[in-house]
Amino acid sequence: MTTINKKRQFWQYPWSYREGFLIAIALVIAGFAIGYVIDKEVKAITFPENLVTGGVIILLLLITHLFFRKHEFVKWIASVPAAISAISAYAFLVLLMGFIRQNPEESSEFLNRTGLSHLTSSQAFLFAQMYFLVTLGMVTLKRIIPFKTKNIGFMLNHLGLWITIAAASLGAGDIQRVSMEINDREPVFVGTDQQGNMLDDMGLAIQLIDFKMESYPPKAFIVDRESGDILNLKNVFSLEMGARGNILGWEVEVVDFIEFGVGVGDKFHKVYDVGAAPAAYVTAKKDDKKLEGWISCGSFRFPGNFLDLGGNELLVMDRPAPKSFVSEVKIYTEDEEVFETEIAVNSPVTVNGWKIYQYDYNHDMGDWSDISVIELIKDPWLPVVYTGIFMLMAGAFYMFWTGNRKKTE
Amino acid sequence: MEMISFNIVAYVTMILWLAGCLFIVFGKKGNILTISGNIMVFAGALLLIAYLVILWINLERPPLRILGETRLWYAVLLPVVGIAIYLRHGYKWFLYYSLFMASVFLVINITKPENFDKTLMPALQSPWFVPHVIVYMISYALLGASSYVAARGLYFQYYRQPKPESLKISDNIIFTGFAFLTLGLVFGALWAKEAWGHYWTWDPKETWAMLTWLSYLIYIHFRYRHPQKTTSALWIIALAFVVLLICWLGINYLSVAENSVHTYSGQ
Ligand code: HEM
Repeated sequence: MTTINKKRQFWQYPWSYREGFLIAIALVIAGFAIGYVIDKEVKAITFPENLVTGGVIILLLLITHLFFRKHEFVKWIASVPAAISAISAYAFLVLLMGFIRQNPEESSEFLNRTGLSHLTSSQAFLFAQMYFLVTLGMVTLKRIIPFKTKNIGFMLNHLGLWITIAAASLGAGDIQRVSMEINDREPVFVGTDQQGNMLDDMGLAIQLIDFKMESYPPKAFIVDRESGDILNLKNVFSLEMGARGNILGWEVEVVDFIEFGVGVGDKFHKVYDVGAAPAAYVTAKKDDKKLEGWISCGSFRFPGNFLDLGGNELLVMDRPAPKSFVSEVKIYTEDEEVFETEIAVNSPVTVNGWKIYQYDYNHDMGDWSDISVIELIKDPWLPVVYTGIFMLMAGAFYMFWTGNRKKTE
Repeated sequence: MEMISFNIVAYVTMILWLAGCLFIVFGKKGNILTISGNIMVFAGALLLIAYLVILWINLERPPLRILGETRLWYAVLLPVVGIAIYLRHGYKWFLYYSLFMASVFLVINITKPENFDKTLMPALQSPWFVPHVIVYMISYALLGASSYVAARGLYFQYYRQPKPESLKISDNIIFTGFAFLTLGLVFGALWAKEAWGHYWTWDPKETWAMLTWLSYLIYIHFRYRHPQKTTSALWIIALAFVVLLICWLGINYLSVAENSVHTYSGQ
């Protein structure tokens, strides 16, 4: 173990923490300064530049390791002090991200020019990440060339992390996200990308057959007539047939419940029509007061109803929260394949390299929505990122298995 | 929805733990007092686990959504870690600490009752939900335990005889805790890809989770390189735990996190 030699001058080999942190600080400050001067954000590079860049970085790291590994600087860059300074620089920027709202539209000019309001596309972040990847890359090479089996856990963790971060950063520019509003009238083949450009070359067309939504039972709230504030946020009461309970001292009971209803005057009837909404006949008792009546959340088409409890309190029904929404669709591909499938939250469908996600629907119409918004995403670097991620997972299991046997010797 | 009263379960559990601890304090190794103490501590933990299982069944969804529910998990997992380490290494003080912390969580849940709400937004209805959150809970329980060891170590360092072995214990716990932390992060990324189409968006919770991970990463490397510098190492653990606490609890109060998918809604 090298101890820090008190007499050693700055920048005199062997380097240690001082040099590492100075380099890290210099990189971060230079990054912000350059950002401020040129006033441009870092644009993600795309294919083939990103592939070439990745190749060049790997090549440079390899050459450095193979031919200059005895050099003091190279020994240092693959050491723990360099690693800790690089991790700290990266952590410092992540910390800034944790405190500064990342939204250029609402931020001051200073934050925007330096990149503090969009850190992931700032020069400072780019430099810190490069420093991180160089130290991590060099220590990885140090331990895997020449390869020893006892270093397998080390390789899984360090190489896995390197691959994950490098592939995620280099591949970011190749990710395509296209949102598409589909309807039940005709197949749609045009979508909008994130920059707002219309695209029609995805090689597929999609038609909505049916949009299906399931909801949770609606909740009852007591709200303040003047402020509109909900008074029983922590005390949830679900409106279901026969449900009873206490809300803020009121004994509430659901006497009748209609899933799809329409109000006529003060009365609600079971009607299955576009825009029909849940309604409940409730009684509310407190002390010697007893009130009853229909409450309903209403919809885009029909008005709702509430129960006036006197004082400033109103008993209202909240819009039911969605339990699931699913688009039943018909997909037409370039090679004249046609098939039907379902797209739901958490279960995207893969077609011709696109992953298709359920994204949104018409919130006003809810269950009755005749459109559905889906998102088509292509991420060609994903398999590489996943390779890294699975190595990291294997590395974590390796850590369980071996513990930190080395250190406690 | 009628449910077994949480308060009764919590009080019985705490009484069992308190009695068990007293028995262990006064008992000698292997004698009847110690054994009955062990059994009581065990029974308390089992009772809580049973309650959690019943809650899960009644809610028809994993009880992992609101802060009160995650506190309940913590109150189950801490004693499990504590009992395991106590049985394995014989550290009584570690058992007392974990039971005390678990009781604090139970008391918070008693004094701040939250109605158990069944709704679970569609994006959370995923096979990844349970492993993601549980792995995190285990990791937090372990790392929380390590910070206690560190606090104790620092106390001894400054006011009593330094105890080098306290770092040995926390190293073991942190290694395991960090592996779980990595898994939690990775499961979260894989899930996010399935649910939203991107594995990492620097959402405020993700940002703080990354920061937590990096803090413990620094600890691991510092320890590897400087096994003798125990005081600095203990301070790194303390600092890393502060980051973890902000990530876990503070996020709800940070203004940057207003629209995070991760903020636990109390409603
Ligand atoms: C998944 C994340 C990581 C894990 C689990 C991890 C784990 C470890 C472990 C356990 C060691 C001790 C080596 C051994 O026991 O053989 C170590 C050493 C080391 N790690 Fe990491 N590490 C990670 C990320 C990083 C990063 C991001 C860097 C640099 C930026 C780094 C740089 C180093 C260095 C320089 C050493 C010393 C190697 C030597 O001197 O031979 N590690 N790491």
